[in-house]
Amino acid sequence: MKVSRAWLQNYFATELPDGQILADAFTFHSFEVEEQTGNLLDLKVLPDRAGYALSHRGVAYELAAALDVPMKKDPLRETLPNWPQSNMLSVEVEDPKKCLRYIGAVVRGVTVGSSPTWLKEALESVGQRSINNVVDATNYVMLNIGQPLHAFDASKLVQKNEIYTIGVQEVEEHKVSDKKTGIPFTALGGEDGYLLPEGTLVITDKNNGDKILGVAGIKGGVVAEVTPHTTDLIIEAANFEGTSVRRTAQRLKLFTDASARFQNRPSPELAAYGMRDVLALIQQVAGGEVEGVVDIYPNPTQNLPVSVTTQKVNELLGSSFSSDEIGTAFKRLSLSTKISNDTFTVTPPFERIDLLIPEDLIEEVGRILGYDRLPPAQLPPLAGTPDQARFRGIERMKDQLVEQGFTEVSTQSFAKKGDIVLANPLDTKRPALRISLQENLDEALAQAQHYALLVLPPGEKPKLFEVGSVFPKEGEHVELRMTEAPKAWGKDFPTFDNLSKANMEEYGNGYEPKHYTLAPFKPFSLYPYIVRDVALWVPQGTEPVKVLNLIRGEAGELCIKISLFDKFEKAAKDGVPAKTSLAFRLIFQSFERTLTDDDANTAMEKAYAKLKSEGFEIR
Amino acid sequence: MESKNTPAVDGQPHATPKGHLHPMSVAMRDIAAIFGNQGFGIAYGPELEDEFHNFDALRVAGDHPARDMQDTFWTQEKPPRVPRTHCTSVTVRELERMAKEGLTELRMINPGKVFRNEATDATHEAQFYQLDGFAVGPVGTVTLAHLKGVWTRFYQEYIGPNAKIRFRPSYFPFTEPSVEVDLWFEAPGKEGRWLEMFGAGMLHPGVLENAGLDPKKVAGFAWGGGLERLIMVKYGVPDVRFFHNGDIRFVYAFDEKQI
Repeated sequence: MKVSRAWLQNYFATELPDGQILADAFTFHSFEVEEQTGNLLDLKVLPDRAGYALSHRGVAYELAAALDVPMKKDPLRETLPNWPQSNMLSVEVEDPKKCLRYIGAVVRGVTVGSSPTWLKEALESVGQRSINNVVDATNYVMLNIGQPLHAFDASKLVQKNEIYTIGVQEVEEHKVSDKKTGIPFTALGGEDGYLLPEGTLVITDKNNGDKILGVAGIKGGVVAEVTPHTTDLIIEAANFEGTSVRRTAQRLKLFTDASARFQNRPSPELAAYGMRDVLALIQQVAGGEVEGVVDIYPNPTQNLPVSVTTQKVNELLGSSFSSDEIGTAFKRLSLSTKISNDTFTVTPPFERIDLLIPEDLIEEVGRILGYDRLPPAQLPPLAGTPDQARFRGIERMKDQLVEQGFTEVSTQSFAKKGDIVLANPLDTKRPALRISLQENLDEALAQAQHYALLVLPPGEKPKLFEVGSVFPKEGEHVELRMTEAPKAWGKDFPTFDNLSKANMEEYGNGYEPKHYTLAPFKPFSLYPYIVRDVALWVPQGTEPVKVLNLIRGEAGELCIKISLFDKFEKAAKDGVPAKTSLAFRLIFQSFERTLTDDDANTAMEKAYAKLKSEGFEIR
Repeated sequence: MESKNTPAVDGQPHATPKGHLHPMSVAMRDIAAIFGNQGFGIAYGPELEDEFHNFDALRVAGDHPARDMQDTFWTQEKPPRVPRTHCTSVTVRELERMAKEGLTELRMINPGKVFRNEATDATHEAQFYQLDGFAVGPVGTVTLAHLKGVWTRFYQEYIGPNAKIRFRPSYFPFTEPSVEVDLWFEAPGKEGRWLEMFGAGMLHPGVLENAGLDPKKVAGFAWGGGLERLIMVKYGVPDVRFFHNGDIRFVYAFDEKQI
């Protein structure tokens, strides 16, 4: 949620601190700050607070508590007007579980035009585009107090006996000719291509064959768009059930500011405050008169009181907060609290739908007083030894294999074939859960054989193992699999084991796995490498390392590894002195590009020249 | 006469014919030891979980966004199961065991593989490991302050003596209060900074109840976070995709010394 400091400032009599200080206040008391650029903040409002805080008012409320500076006004604590009942509008809600409240209003005689500068600037300050004064008013009030709103051009609806009839209903099966598609829908702004499947909750014109005016809680349709010619409006301030809105938004891939709010289930009480503010603002910026209002709200909601004691707060947090401090936290949050002895009974205001159990109140105390006040405490010792036997058994197996020259790899659990298949694989080539580690281990071995020259001592062949879960139809278990049987265990030893069956607990009991210190990660190149061998005769007694260093000095930076891979002696014979053959393997690789033969040849020529100049005979 | 000798000189330090452990195993041994000293055992559970242990018991209700197809893999089975999306499912199973065996205190770490249906990049993988865990005891004996103590000690032993942590408010359906835990990390030769490491909180009373425990009698904290992330921070690994692609170059990218 993008918020602007200037907008928040409307809620405070004293000047707010700069963006960075605001960001810190949010970070440690309320929300994660995703981005802060000057006076624009992008806040990550999580689901528990999103019911009340996806608005500048909600964010200002949090800021007031975090900074301990009271708000100068709170639109949600100001009274609601008594609207006249509309004689021109009727609303029919099909399922009150999907539409918890619907307030409709008729406004006549507006002049649609551009918005005043302050309104344009306010919207633009949070990255929104100004459209016209009426639409801007609905957006402003939503961003200000969190209630999604919509304005329909009344003239686009059919009146029967001078009455407009709005319907809130689901798309019926018989209206969808092809079940796979749905009813075509063109959203405001002319975006078309949406197909509304059966069951989509929509706003309709009941007097015009249930013509679809909008997708409930998500987006209005172009059919009743407010244009410069519009004079009469039907305003909607409703509350649509969160799951239904979320599912529809996902199905249509149409995510809007309205859907983001409804899916977090704001209180239906909020709709009335939204209507109050939007009617006032429309009249202010576009003129017109409110004809009347219809409010369909069959099951009003009310928050229940929640109690917590000072002792319980401190027992859960490990704090030593006094009752006074706890009372301060509730006061900073403007929570109406009854205190008797050390018990606090909070009756949350209607918008705080997140305060249901004592632990919810404890979180409020913790975050407002600050988690930095919790001392790091040590857990008391437990009787007995903690049970790590199974872990140690498995690690003991690994230690044995490493001793035998095996290298551990880790591979992916998804496979081309298997007994259990995913309904929604990410990689459609690997839709199943592996039934064995074999397939991956084969691939890893082929790869390892190619890379062995880079990482293993010369002449060493890679031997791999993996420990991982497999999912055959007999049931999930942990498998150990090796690319060959360890020599020391005899060649008839199987190359796999079911570690869920083997008694790893007993095997690990009392075993202390080997510990290693690892140096920091050493990046390796992902480009191909080139291998060159050089064999030469050197006088007997010549240190191979001396020769190796000569080569290294000439081979250049692209030579990442040189190793001696063969050495033998030729005894003196027929007056020729004894000599030694050395063979070195050079590996060339770059971090920036694929090397060419020329790169390697050039380096080798330099090395040959150097070796010859030292009097060695290249074989 | 010619005689062959075993080559004795290598340009690289890996002259040993021993194999290599995956860095994750090396790390888990250190982690297990540090938590072991604070009374934590190690618990395991199935990677392919039922809905109850992965979601319902943790108060992730049937219509919660986390259960959607775009976040979670589902099997074609009836009823469907999920490659677990977190190891908190193991916590649920351990809490159930506490209830069954009548235990009033238990501390466990649950390392294991988890699955998320999301596009991969240098910091996201569809398969990764989590280091989950919990401590539960009689009410008042295991608090949010203890979570701070346990993890401060862990990081000071695992990362370095200057390590410290801080809590920020957060939200998870299965903890209340919920926090994010940041680590103060000073990479060699660089300025220290705060890194977001994992989520945690006090187990929600509803979760304890779902497992058959009485929240009036016991309470505790739980946490969960990426294991690769911890290793990436400690050893400077730039890309999470190195961990589980079976590439031995990654396994050999850390010079090792046995202690």
